[in-house]
Amino acid sequence: MSTDDPYGPRVRRLFAAPVHAGRLEDGESVDVDEQDVRLRLSAAAAAGRIEAMRFEARGCPHVIAAAEAACARLEGGPVSGLLEFSGRDLMENLPVPVEKTGRILALEDAVRSLGQRLRDGTES
Amino acid sequence: MTEAFVYLDYAASTPVDPRVRDRMREAGEMTCANPSSTHAAGRLTHGIIATAAAQLAGLLNAGPRTLVWTSGATESDNLAIAGGARYRNHRGRHIVTMKTEHKAVTDVFEQLAKEGFDVSWVEPDGNGILDPAAFEAVLREDTQLASIMLVNNETGVIQDIEALGGICRERGILFHVDAAQAAGKVHVDLSTLPVDLMSVTAHKFYGPQGIGALYIADRPGCHVDPILFGGGQQRRIRPGTLPMELIAGFGMAAEIAAHRIDDDLEHLRALREALWGGIRDLGGIRRNGDPDGFPGILNVSAAGVEGESLLLALEPLQVATGSACNSKSREPSSVLRALGLSDTDAQSAIRFSLGRPTTAGEARFAADRYRQAVLKLRGLAPGAGV
Repeated sequence: MSTDDPYGPRVRRLFAAPVHAGRLEDGESVDVDEQDVRLRLSAAAAAGRIEAMRFEARGCPHVIAAAEAACARLEGGPVSGLLEFSGRDLMENLPVPVEKTGRILALEDAVRSLGQRLRDGTES
Repeated sequence: MTEAFVYLDYAASTPVDPRVRDRMREAGEMTCANPSSTHAAGRLTHGIIATAAAQLAGLLNAGPRTLVWTSGATESDNLAIAGGARYRNHRGRHIVTMKTEHKAVTDVFEQLAKEGFDVSWVEPDGNGILDPAAFEAVLREDTQLASIMLVNNETGVIQDIEALGGICRERGILFHVDAAQAAGKVHVDLSTLPVDLMSVTAHKFYGPQGIGALYIADRPGCHVDPILFGGGQQRRIRPGTLPMELIAGFGMAAEIAAHRIDDDLEHLRALREALWGGIRDLGGIRRNGDPDGFPGILNVSAAGVEGESLLLALEPLQVATGSACNSKSREPSSVLRALGLSDTDAQSAIRFSLGRPTTAGEARFAADRYRQAVLKLRGLAPGAGV
């Protein structure tokens, strides 16, 4: 029997246990409030690498799962990874339905903006 | 029903009572004939349908010949409103309904507006109740039809049909009542209620899906034009071969309900209060609709959480974020917005609807699950503001 589940198993898993949920008080943070999404990303970087990255979100399951997946992917990597972040991979891999593209683009904007802040903070 | 679910969506649909299933099987084994056929097998089918009509009429305290079988409440609403408005078209083109009606009603009014009818949309108060004086204020000399639901499908609010129907009766206005959520669940006495047309459906009270009925009062001027064409069945009001097994099941569901309404209401009241008692102190929780409404429905909003995520976090609870017919839409409920809720609060609303099989343990589980889900999502949100 087809259940026509709107959430894939990966979305369900990430939504159920978002281990990167939370806020880093000592890091840089970015807030987004658009596309039915309220999102705050925060990250701490040292020597050009993301030491920790967290998110807070009020949004649909796909947004929460995407934010968790983005944090998991970017944490430990270079700050430049944030600047080059694209939501397209998340759209395909989670997957996220096409009608929610705007929400993932809001996440993409937030990640890149956070990358700029971290880069600017390092350069200043 | 799969045991992995905790089903609390009885306002959307109910499981078929085993006695109803037995009756449908029995009827199907007796005959397969068309009830319009004049041979013995056809007369047998006709008799099965007549029995069901008597059972449903008994539930509603109406005459069996006042009932027209349909495919469900949506068709009944269409037939009553479009058929009634068109029948009276030559007298006037003003028709009235509420903003909090089901889509099966509001969409028909929208369609009639496109056809040149003048529609007035009356608004309820903050609890969802329509003030009869506010209703009367919009009526005009040329008002021909009004449609007001008895029990609201999202909030359980019960309208004062006796007062509203009385106003219509005094003015000669055809009065339709969508009773999809009421029939078989609350007492409906059509021998005393001033109602001209009433939509009912079987699957809301433990009958099969796909069968409904429209009550058409047996009095002068109370008539509808057909909206389907293709035969002379059912006094030329609704053509098509009658689905005998579904009708037999509908009749049995009605007979069972007629004997159970008071017990069911008491059961639902206890469950709803247990559920509400388990979540009311959570903070930032709003109970939507009149607390004295139908006890099978509890509609609540939670500040600081998003509705779709709440629905997923509530699993394995099977609940609704609005009417099930509309649940794939991300638009906040128009019913809740009409009650004055913000888009955000309306979007976070969950409708728990309880039923005959619901247990006290399920109500407690639902309350615990709701608390956990709301707290989890508030914990994820940036500044939930609660």
